Amino acid sequence: MSKVVEISPTTRHEGHSKLVLKVNDAGIIETGNWCSITPVRGVERLAVGKSMEQVPKIASRVCGICPIAHTLAGIESMEASIKCEIPRDAHLLRVILQCANRLHSHALHNILTLPDMYLPGTDMKINPFSPEEPVRRVAKRLQRIREIGQTIGEIAGGEAIHPSNPRVGGMYKACSPRAKTKMYDLAKEGLVLAHAQMEFMIAILRNYQKRDWAEVGGAKIAIPKDLGYHSQGYLATDPVYGSSSLDECPTWDYSRFKESRPWDWYMGEMEVSLEDPKYPVGGTTKMGTKVNPQMEACTGVPCYDGAPVEVGPRARMVKFKNFDEKGTIGQQVARQMEYPDCLTAMISAIDEYNPAAKVVADYIPQGDGSMGWAANEAPRGTDVHLAKVKDGRVQWYSMLVPTTWNFATCSAALTGAPWQLAEVVVRGYDPCVSCATHMIVIDEDNRIVAQKLIQ
Amino acid sequence: MLYPEIVIAGCGNPLFADDGFGPAVVEELQKLTLPDNVKVVDAGLGGPHFVFTLLDPDVTKKLVIVDIADFGAEPGSITKLRVEDLPPGSYRDAHSWDLTEPLHRIKDQVEITVIGCQPKLVTDPDMEIGLSDEVLNAIPKTVRIVLETIGVDYGTTIKCL
Repeated sequence: MSKVVEISPTTRHEGHSKLVLKVNDAGIIETGNWCSITPVRGVERLAVGKSMEQVPKIASRVCGICPIAHTLAGIESMEASIKCEIPRDAHLLRVILQCANRLHSHALHNILTLPDMYLPGTDMKINPFSPEEPVRRVAKRLQRIREIGQTIGEIAGGEAIHPSNPRVGGMYKACSPRAKTKMYDLAKEGLVLAHAQMEFMIAILRNYQKRDWAEVGGAKIAIPKDLGYHSQGYLATDPVYGSSSLDECPTWDYSRFKESRPWDWYMGEMEVSLEDPKYPVGGTTKMGTKVNPQMEACTGVPCYDGAPVEVGPRARMVKFKNFDEKGTIGQQVARQMEYPDCLTAMISAIDEYNPAAKVVADYIPQGDGSMGWAANEAPRGTDVHLAKVKDGRVQWYSMLVPTTWNFATCSAALTGAPWQLAEVVVRGYDPCVSCATHMIVIDEDNRIVAQKLIQ
Repeated sequence: MLYPEIVIAGCGNPLFADDGFGPAVVEELQKLTLPDNVKVVDAGLGGPHFVFTLLDPDVTKKLVIVDIADFGAEPGSITKLRVEDLPPGSYRDAHSWDLTEPLHRIKDQVEITVIGCQPKLVTDPDMEIGLSDEVLNAIPKTVRIVLETIGVDYGTTIKCL
């Protein structure tokens, strides 16, 4: 008979989310629901009536992990709406910024994911903060990679955290020849470290894949060979940067996208009937607690061609580099393979960048209210912002962020895994839950049906 | 400059009304000409996971954090706090990664001052832009306190705290 177990909140990722899992007698997940419990914020409503310069700045404050992705996608959605093409060198600076962001975000994810993994040849899990070798060396390398990413981001983007340099129409400031050299030196140093880090992480991940069991809460849990497999599709717009409705051949199609209501996808009211007080951290939810993922989930379910899709490093690798490994470990390996790619793409952009060239468009139209979208390949997946700008003011704005895409896909990927390893599957998606929490739900006639939830 | 000697970090989210105090003070500080060994960072929401990769205890000697803090005073009041004064859990970024713990870890190597302003209104989780008048009026005074803390004297004759 099926039992219900709830892990709330899930840990070692950004934001607040929980897992409600229906499991069989052997503890294998029959139906998994992963849902956001971060309160809905309603940035879309706040944006209406603001100037097109201000809205991307607002968007960058939705989340502290990917302000760069939101700034770039926000600005480019404005540019797509007003039909403004930016100079080539402004775009190159944005590519550098994008790669810097991905570099330090992947390094942060390594720190979050390593505690699930084992040191090869031992039954000891990795504590990334341990002062012992060989972990210490890895931690220092990760720290240096993050510093490099942030410093390059600061040089190209103006600020290390919330970038101030990108603007509608290009960039405020060009980088000097000296700044270009500095970025180049840092990127070359980073490339060596990134290769080493990729190789280390892939060795650790392959070791996990070969293991028969993992220890969770004092019990040995068998690791299935198909951990995290799902049969949903993939969505990616570019191996590095993104796409927008201004492109000659856009790689994302608004008409193929539809957002549906969470209550069509998530389970209804149930009662927790299995608990494990030893589960880290602090045990699972007590037996008898009522749960209702349908009503508690704080996000809609975006569909592409009528079904949820996976976005993120593996989706990019599958779409553009013939990567074909499924499952959680495949996904993690794809993420590590992006390390050197970030830096080679960055080095090419720095090479091509001309410090003397202009970085702002000569003419910035003010918009006629037509819809424009921009997709940015953020570290954790495709981040699409949509906007309508008229006379310099935003009339409508919407953010479709990576983790929103992944919620339903990851829920499907939980089936067949032991419930104790559900969080390992979730962490494979490198979730960023706060940004994902927006609720604009559109019914079959494209009317907004859940407006009350955002007011 | 990767590691400056003095780092001033304004923390908080401008989308939650008075929580935008830190970034607002940073905006004012960036208008001033400060010595080369000082860096002003709009840490925004990224405090714990970003600011600490910008510090190197060998180089960075002083960290000044500007944020809102609930210490039960009138809105707009300013206080200086030591790391020891921060109750666990009260200092959090929007993503609930506790800032207190990393601060405790580095407090013996870096001199840390937290300048807190009593907020009037924090709208989390609802979004609202704009500081309340009380908190807005506290900005010039906070700028003076920051300058005093980092030893920059532009000839003001006003005593701060």
